[in-house]
Amino acid sequence: MDAKKLTIKNLLFSKLNRKLTFLFAIVGLVAPAVGIYYFYVISISSYPAALLTDQASLLRTVAIMIMILIAVDAGIIGFLVSRSISKPIKELRNATREVERGNYNVKVSIDTNDEIAELAQAFNVTTAALGKLAQERKEVDTAKTEFLSITSHELRSPMTPMKAQLQMLENGYFGELNDKQKESLGIIIRNADRLDNIIVDFLEISRIEAAKLKFNFVETDLAQIVRDIAKFMEGFAKQKNIDVIVNVDKLPVIETDPDRVTQVLRNLVHNAIKFSNENCKVEISAELKNNHILFSVRDYGCGLSPENQIRIFEPFFQVECANRRRYGGTGLGLAICRGIVESQNGKIWVESKPDKGCIFYFTLPLAPVRELKPIKILFSCRSDIEKKIRDEFKAILGPLGDVEFEELKIKNSLSKDDLFAYIDSLTGQFIITRENGTEFKNRIGEIFGEEKEIINDRRDTVHENFENEVLKRNYERF
Amino acid sequence: MVKTILVVDDEPDIRDSVRTILEMNGYRVITAVDGDDCLKKARETKPDLILLDIMMPGTPVVNIVKQIKDIKIAFMSVVRISDARKKGLCSQENIVDFLQKPFNVSDLVDRVSLILNE
Repeated sequence: MDAKKLTIKNLLFSKLNRKLTFLFAIVGLVAPAVGIYYFYVISISSYPAALLTDQASLLRTVAIMIMILIAVDAGIIGFLVSRSISKPIKELRNATREVERGNYNVKVSIDTNDEIAELAQAFNVTTAALGKLAQERKEVDTAKTEFLSITSHELRSPMTPMKAQLQMLENGYFGELNDKQKESLGIIIRNADRLDNIIVDFLEISRIEAAKLKFNFVETDLAQIVRDIAKFMEGFAKQKNIDVIVNVDKLPVIETDPDRVTQVLRNLVHNAIKFSNENCKVEISAELKNNHILFSVRDYGCGLSPENQIRIFEPFFQVECANRRRYGGTGLGLAICRGIVESQNGKIWVESKPDKGCIFYFTLPLAPVRELKPIKILFSCRSDIEKKIRDEFKAILGPLGDVEFEELKIKNSLSKDDLFAYIDSLTGQFIITRENGTEFKNRIGEIFGEEKEIINDRRDTVHENFENEVLKRNYERF
Repeated sequence: MVKTILVVDDEPDIRDSVRTILEMNGYRVITAVDGDDCLKKARETKPDLILLDIMMPGTPVVNIVKQIKDIKIAFMSVVRISDARKKGLCSQENIVDFLQKPFNVSDLVDRVSLILNE
């Protein structure tokens, strides 16, 4: 019984038209019914009983007919009135659905000369603006892709004849060289290679920042990829007598970009070998977790201090140690790995203790990501910094960290000095240990270290402009 | 018999460098400056191998390649091979190799010799 009542209620009230028509009809029934009832009662009491039989039935019939007529009329008028409201609203609803689908070219034309017409006008203006924004965004996107592809071409092209001629000189194509000439050439070639590597890496970072990384998702046998990389690195590993051990169990064949996975793994393994001492081992593992694959590369080298563990993914950051000086590198490898992994919604991190080696972990989603998001590698903006501070609060203080951070944010006490004062108060009250307090301060200091770099950049442009002005003035004098 | 190689690149320095390398390794070298010039020279001289740059002004390379089916072609470009494959550039049978620029001189010589001595 209840179910039936609900559906009748839905039937009557779900459409604007029906609702209003129904209500008008009710009014059209009730109002005259009440009136006629009173008329009926009064006339009955004013007239003698003899009239009752004949005229009463006539009166009754007339009364009922009048009620029905009025109800029907009210219903019709109600329907027409309600339609004049519901029709334009339906048009607006249909147009909005079109916009939801992404079609910004809809126009609603309503000429009822009332507020609904004004609403329609506003709707048209808004969708036109949305359409324009979408168009602009597409244009910027195309411009970005074109810019990156042209820049890439232009930056790398001079390298080709340069390296070719240098190699020809070195290989005696133009005559024998004396020792000094060979040495000089060696230096030039080495640095030309270095420059080329930096250009390639920098272009990668540009693509990552613009979310224009090209991924090529295909069915991939991950276990095979890991084995291939181990084989590829054998040569380099043998130079230091390092064993590359592979630990892959049953890994599913998933859809991903094999070149990118290879790129990340190769970089991590290369680093592992580079920073290991002789006669060590490097372990590569991959496990299937609930919704991702977890890769890890472990080395037993010099390890990383806590500060470096945070900074190591920064562009151009390189840990100072003898091994790095020997093997060089651009300092962009891990930043690029981070970009590749995070573009696919994965995570990359390191666990390490000084002198005990490092384990680098990264995750790979089981299904390829449909839309790449731009990853900020080069410059952090304010909200990123606040987020980093919040993460530190949560890391050191646990769930309470969120609450504490909010409080400080409300009081606008998120500057470095304020935060340090707050941390001092925590250690003073023995809420956290002195050790944790120092660690906390270090990490916060790190975050602000980045911000200082950006501020310095801006100051440099101001200084540069000033210099230019002075030069211009001096030139004009002559 | 001396083999002929047609080198196609819009940059004169690259044409010169590759010409020097190949001539000093015993090949005869013809050069072209873009896709259309490449077609013209290929018809005139019937080379044994075409070394073809990808990003050049004029007719897109993908159309030029469709018109050359009987001569071996090796691409020579800064474009990555995975991107070239995606653009459908590597599907023809007469495309035998892909050299990434900047290349190694010895690598170029080795690969060309491999292609022409099959």
